[in-house]
Amino acid sequence: MSERDLTRPHETGRRIPPVAISETSTLVNQTGSWKYIMPRYQDGVAPCNAGCPVGIDIEGYMYLIGQGRLQDAADLLIRENPMPAVTGRVCHHPCEDSCNRASLDEAVAIHSVERRLGDMILAAPPPPAPERTRTETVAVIGSGPAGLSCACFLARFGYGVTVFEAAPEAGGMLRLGIPEYRLPRAILDRQIERIEAEGIEIRISTRIGTDVPWAVLDGFDAVFVAPGAHMGKDSRIEGAEGVPEIRPGLEFLKEVNAGGRPELGDHVIVVGGGNTAMDCARSALRLGADVTVLYRRTPREMPAIPQEARETKEEGVKFEFLAAPTAVEMEDGEFVGITCQRMELGPPDDSGRRRPVPIEGDVFSMKADTVLTAIGEDCDLSFLPDEVRTNWGLVEVEALGESTSAPVFAGGDAVDLPRSVADALGAGKRAAIGIDHYLRKEAGEDVGEVPLDDLRFAGGNVSAMRYAKDEDPIPREAPVNDVVTWDQMNPHHYRSVPRHEDHFHAGIDLRSAFGETNFGLSQKEAIEEAERCLNCGVCNRCELCLIFCPDMAISRREDGGFEIDMRYCKGCGLCAAECPRGAIVMTREGM
Amino acid sequence: MSQTIIKQHIPRDDLLASGHLACPGCAAPIAMNLVLKALGPETMVVLPACCWSIIAGPWPQSSLRVPLYHTAFETAAAVASGIKAGLQSRGDTETTVIAWAGDGGTFDIGLQALSGAAERNEDFIYFCYDNEAYMNTGIQRSSATPWGAWTTTTPTSDPEHQPKKDIMAIMAAHRIPYAATASVAYPVDLVQKVEKARTIRGTRFIHILAPCPPGWKTQNDETIDLARMAVERRIFPLLEVENGGEWRFTVDHPGGPVEPYLRRQARFRHLNEVQVEHIQREVDARWKILSNRVKHGT
Amino acid sequence: MKKVMIGNHAVSWGVLRSRVEVISAYPITPQTQIVEALSDMVADGSLPARYIKVESEHSAMAACIGASIVGTRTFTATSSQGLALMHEMLHWAAGGRHPVVMANVNRAMAPGWNIWTDQNDSLSQRDTGWIQLYCETNQEVFDTTIQAFKLAEKVDLPVMLLLDAFFLSHTSEPVDVTEQEDVDRFLPRREAVYKMDTKDPHAFGALVRPDAYTEIRWQQQEAMHEARDVFRRVEDDWEAITGRRYGAVEAYRTEDADLLLVTSGTITSTARHVVDERRAGGDKVGLIKVKMFRPFPTDELRALLGGVDRVAVLDRNISPGHGGIFAEEIRSALYDVPPEDRPILFGYVLGLGGRDVTPTVIDDIIDNTRTKARPEREDLWVGVEL
Repeated sequence: MSERDLTRPHETGRRIPPVAISETSTLVNQTGSWKYIMPRYQDGVAPCNAGCPVGIDIEGYMYLIGQGRLQDAADLLIRENPMPAVTGRVCHHPCEDSCNRASLDEAVAIHSVERRLGDMILAAPPPPAPERTRTETVAVIGSGPAGLSCACFLARFGYGVTVFEAAPEAGGMLRLGIPEYRLPRAILDRQIERIEAEGIEIRISTRIGTDVPWAVLDGFDAVFVAPGAHMGKDSRIEGAEGVPEIRPGLEFLKEVNAGGRPELGDHVIVVGGGNTAMDCARSALRLGADVTVLYRRTPREMPAIPQEARETKEEGVKFEFLAAPTAVEMEDGEFVGITCQRMELGPPDDSGRRRPVPIEGDVFSMKADTVLTAIGEDCDLSFLPDEVRTNWGLVEVEALGESTSAPVFAGGDAVDLPRSVADALGAGKRAAIGIDHYLRKEAGEDVGEVPLDDLRFAGGNVSAMRYAKDEDPIPREAPVNDVVTWDQMNPHHYRSVPRHEDHFHAGIDLRSAFGETNFGLSQKEAIEEAERCLNCGVCNRCELCLIFCPDMAISRREDGGFEIDMRYCKGCGLCAAECPRGAIVMTREGM
Repeated sequence: MSQTIIKQHIPRDDLLASGHLACPGCAAPIAMNLVLKALGPETMVVLPACCWSIIAGPWPQSSLRVPLYHTAFETAAAVASGIKAGLQSRGDTETTVIAWAGDGGTFDIGLQALSGAAERNEDFIYFCYDNEAYMNTGIQRSSATPWGAWTTTTPTSDPEHQPKKDIMAIMAAHRIPYAATASVAYPVDLVQKVEKARTIRGTRFIHILAPCPPGWKTQNDETIDLARMAVERRIFPLLEVENGGEWRFTVDHPGGPVEPYLRRQARFRHLNEVQVEHIQREVDARWKILSNRVKHGT
Repeated sequence: MKKVMIGNHAVSWGVLRSRVEVISAYPITPQTQIVEALSDMVADGSLPARYIKVESEHSAMAACIGASIVGTRTFTATSSQGLALMHEMLHWAAGGRHPVVMANVNRAMAPGWNIWTDQNDSLSQRDTGWIQLYCETNQEVFDTTIQAFKLAEKVDLPVMLLLDAFFLSHTSEPVDVTEQEDVDRFLPRREAVYKMDTKDPHAFGALVRPDAYTEIRWQQQEAMHEARDVFRRVEDDWEAITGRRYGAVEAYRTEDADLLLVTSGTITSTARHVVDERRAGGDKVGLIKVKMFRPFPTDELRALLGGVDRVAVLDRNISPGHGGIFAEEIRSALYDVPPEDRPILFGYVLGLGGRDVTPTVIDDIIDNTRTKARPEREDLWVGVEL
């Protein structure tokens, strides 16, 4: 028996009101203990970044534009790509091919946004040259996109850089091969000036092996070889030898791009289906000719950038597919045209494209005053010492451009890479990292191995910022280096918005018009286009997770990010399921 | 802008506290939080018996940061009438009074009081968060349970054989100034409706579909997606009715087969193709009726 | 101000004088004149209240609860079936400690339909936690209506005042209607301690687990006990203003009586008349009127009935399977009286469904009580003709 009086109320100090009135909130219930999986903010890599051969944080600069931080966006862009005003015009933008937005409506017009930022950068005075922090110097052979890219990043890494250019003006294939109507010379000149302003010396009209001996490079601690591919392949047209009307297309382009206006006659045939062929055709058109592109496969197999091919066609160039030139046709000792063989598509070849095979007996003639052959170019590597091994006319290199003979590095069209401006820029950046790493190692620094996979954007090209451990202007939550695919995102929170297409100069007589035809987007349009970016894999503070969390467990941090209060998160997974960007994952970790 | 930047449309402050006792993935607290965000702190809530009686927390707790009265199952509309009358008699015309009831407390046991209050045009907003059965008592069928659904009182051998009651038509027939459907998957639409309702005087009715993972037999993280599917596939169209006669859709309803919606919920797992087809025809027929109401105004 | 009025209007006047703020009611015979008069008073502005014309008694009580939880003075009126429909919300009003005041016109329960008086409707609500006050006259109805608000608001419990169908509800009597300023002195505006307030938000009525439910009910019971004293003080205050008081229990000519009648409601007036006649004839008969049924006036009844030889309890109600409800309650109260002081108690059931209880019937009851050695059963049904 208790000492207490059983039926007398016992004073225990409990405060129980006369009615069931609340005195506290449910915060006393730590309902987070119910969960068996937990959410975590985890930023991934947008597919555009992974798909860019240059290695640009495209999603990053789109994010910054979305926040109204245009200048920060431009700064981020130029730190990974030294010539955005150029790439915004001439890059074949594989980033857009990998853009997740295409699954929703249309890919973001990344190139247009990049061009706008690039022009914005060129309009501003260049920043002071980076500080020279290294004693070593590096020689760069060739001032095309690969050479200038490598030189630029090396200068930023603190090295003294000298670029040797064979031609009287810098720019390499950008100047020699790309027509002015695609890349105005004023833009190119300013872009190169800006790169020079980073503290690079360019020695023009200095061909290694001809104007100066290879030995001149002995004074440098490393060499980057990027001479480009300038020798047209043999056309294999029977009887073409010695016929001046049959010209290598690249040679024709160089002449036109240097200001020449050669007489071509009324009818011009361009042989080939790549970008050089398109440039030849459109340049010939501008010289007043009636132009036909002769290509031995179908439109599907054409290696030219589809947009270039489309513009070529829109400008009035005719196309003759499944046809190959076989022989020169002469009349009275005068060139009058070519004999063509009709082709059909056979089984696929090594490139995966279906191989064209002749249709027995199906030949025809085409009248022509000039034939421009654009079926590929080779490199002249005769200046290289023997220790630098080549293979099929290309320098053998490792991932960071290391040739078989240190301290020689190589890149651009001289190595086994797709022949694009972007790939050349990317190769230059990789080589700059390779050279920096090599020189530091030579200097006795304990640099270990280059963490190549970590430097790459999810298997894409490397990031100079990641290599230099520069501060990322975008706040990222627990980033991982994996691409975020469309199926990891929630498409329902986006609505369809049409893509802004570049403005074209319409209604002008193209003949003799070498001015730029594509005017890009206005600033307003470019910003709107940037806002179409889905920020795949990256939290952009849309706050949907806050709205859909049934447990009010997510709150804003002072730095703008979010915090999940695990005392209350029940692990339902709605935040992860509804995150439009796939930036939240559910995990058992830490449970 | 391509993205629905919804945070700009939704007030920031939460009037619902963590630690409430809703099941993981429950739509009901999401709905409550959005509604209270739209209404603000000058709000009083009447809560009849329903899941939310538990979600609000046991004594001495409350998960709401506004006053809350727990009341008997069938009395939400009557108690709300009384609270409003009390406030009015003391000169308070600003406080928003809301009733917050489940489908059982609305479609079934509370319908009389709701009808009475609506007919009198009492000045409050009545919210029905509809999880399509008596979930709090363990998933028994209500008149909001859809045809074909399993519940613990409609076993798969004899599933629900009545279509869901057309509560919106009933409420519209009372000619109340404002009635609307809303969805947790469309938070901006929901908040805008609540904000609009707040500015109107008289009885306002907002019907919110609230998917229930344990009752619908779905994964916890499917709640929003199912709510969205229900709207897109015209199973739960989002609309407004003003003064009983002006019907208007508020979002797009692209349509599409209902089967994927049904198949993701194990409460419909027993349905055969013929039964699924039947539901599809019903949904199509209801959509036609609704479209006509929208077109012709009644 | 003296006015001749029916009992129902005495309620309405009491409500008017009490400055009720929210009324919510549903019509039922024989309550209707209460709400009709109130409708007029609200319509003409003499009573500035919100009157919610609900669709059922259940909603009437629910709406009163709603109005009460925001701190206002609320009133409803009903009868019989309507009261039964309210049952659930009667618990809610009491358990939520809402001082709602309700007039219930005592009417028999169906089936078959019956609109006349008996007390089974209100006594069926015995355990809902309401204070119950039974009235005998229209003046008492008026006075009790006003007192009920003061009592309810002092102890935060709902109060039901009862008046017999037709015998009071539809019967005209002179009523001294207390002046408004006097009532205002007696009954100030309600100031609720616990109420819904957006400036101080709380939840009311959430799930209470076994660890606290008992303690909350204990406090409700303590309030009921306190209500006895509070009612006494309320009557003191009212008497000081009006000179009128009734008591929870009234003893009428009980001096040296060997037989006491126990009544409630209008039977009391008839019994009073019979007692007067018997006393005139030298018969030592007295009368106990029970006004307050909940809380039950146990101590007063023990004091008044202990030591008396015989007690006849007249119940216009029946608890089927047991007996008249007042009789059973009184029998229970007297159990703790020393055995030698325990009276012999006769429990009469009569007047159901409005059957007349005439002086002759009461005379017969007195005689029966005197002549029988002991009651042959606990429920003695009067006048059953088969």
